[in-house]
Amino acid sequence: MVLGKWLVVMAMVMAGFSGTANAGDAVAGEPVFDLCTQCHGTAGEGNPSIAAPGIAGLPEWYVAAQLRKFRNGHRGTHPKDAEGMRMRPMALTLGINADPALSGEAKQDAQDKDLDNVAAYVASLPQTKPAASLEGGDSARGQGLYAVCMACHMPDGSGNQGVGSPPLAGASDWYLFSQLKKFKAGIRGNKPEDITGVTMRGMAGTLADEQAMKDVIAYIKTLSK
Amino acid sequence: MLEHYLPAASTYASDIDGLVNLIFWIVGVWFVLCQVVFFYFIIKFRRKPGVKAQYITGEEKEQKRWISIPHALVLICDVFIVYGAVTVWVDIKQTLPEPEESTPVRVIGQQWAWTFVHAGPDGLLDTPDDIETVDELRIQVNHKYRYQLESEDVLHNFSIPVFRLKQDAIPGRVIEGWFEATQTGTFDVQCAEICGIGHGIMAARIVIEPAADHAAWMSENAPRTVLAATTP
Repeated sequence: MVLGKWLVVMAMVMAGFSGTANAGDAVAGEPVFDLCTQCHGTAGEGNPSIAAPGIAGLPEWYVAAQLRKFRNGHRGTHPKDAEGMRMRPMALTLGINADPALSGEAKQDAQDKDLDNVAAYVASLPQTKPAASLEGGDSARGQGLYAVCMACHMPDGSGNQGVGSPPLAGASDWYLFSQLKKFKAGIRGNKPEDITGVTMRGMAGTLADEQAMKDVIAYIKTLSK
Repeated sequence: MLEHYLPAASTYASDIDGLVNLIFWIVGVWFVLCQVVFFYFIIKFRRKPGVKAQYITGEEKEQKRWISIPHALVLICDVFIVYGAVTVWVDIKQTLPEPEESTPVRVIGQQWAWTFVHAGPDGLLDTPDDIETVDELRIQVNHKYRYQLESEDVLHNFSIPVFRLKQDAIPGRVIEGWFEATQTGTFDVQCAEICGIGHGIMAARIVIEPAADHAAWMSENAPRTVLAATTP
């Protein structure tokens, strides 16, 4: 009984930490998603040729959190983050079709609504299976390196909303590689407001070089089966 | 006239405005004159009972005059426009300030953001004290800047409306130009060449500040990389 109460309290604390409520309406988010399809594809499958990752089936809380980071300039504002800088204006367009008469809090609410709705729609899309494109990784060596990652991203790579860590299993290998490089170089996770990004930046620093990144990604790919 | 709608904040903004005004008045006078003549003829030669329509070949001397005289006058007007345009073009596009009296700044367009590389306190690019910013260009008032315009991906256009500056950015090329701000303030920078779905929101800000404020900003931020303003 006591344990049950503690679990409830812990769940509430964790939900508070992640800072998002799953309030989006996927049906209302579908028309908003039209803009996203230009790069991420109609099924949210992504397009490696323009560095647009697959987003279909990502958790709603994660998509919403990243969109907020882009919108608020906590991600996609580093001069070396060309892809992030391309994404940021897109996040700024959310809510652009809201009533122009709105201002202040009402405007913010309208923008938030679009953002949450499109996040819900993305989460409702069936996950796609990205083709492997990264070569030269040693999954056996990567398994040892993954020990650091699993504290947040879980042993099966399913992620953990409580600490704001997204699922890794099923993600495109090229995308994981590019993001690890960005985290390590301080191109992503460099804003103090981006709490989970700052945490991840430190974690990426534990990977010695690009080979280590490829190894750990090779292991993550084994989790996707 | 244009200044009434949009401040003129560069040394050559009034030259561009003057050129636009010159063309506006010359073309405007001819436009009004043509309309007056057309409407005069339409009314004078309107359909009247018992009068047959004439077929005019335009070969008579007094008919040809309606073409040749305006033609000569328009050519004289063209001389004024061409003289004005070439003078302004040479000053803005063909003449670069000397390196010792100006500061370089690199402007990089990409889908859909602007990166600015400021020269830092040493006044030179590609040195460790360079200051990189995204979507915010900081310059000193009453000082010449030589910009080096680049594009990371597709065609863009570096446009600062208050400077009356508009320059295409072409991938693979470094295009040089210059500007000198004449008043302090914060103004818009925009992309003026369709560059993809985010073109309409590819905007940045230019902050023009007094020399002391600008020096303080540089010493505060060099060599650390400065990031864009965080407010949406």
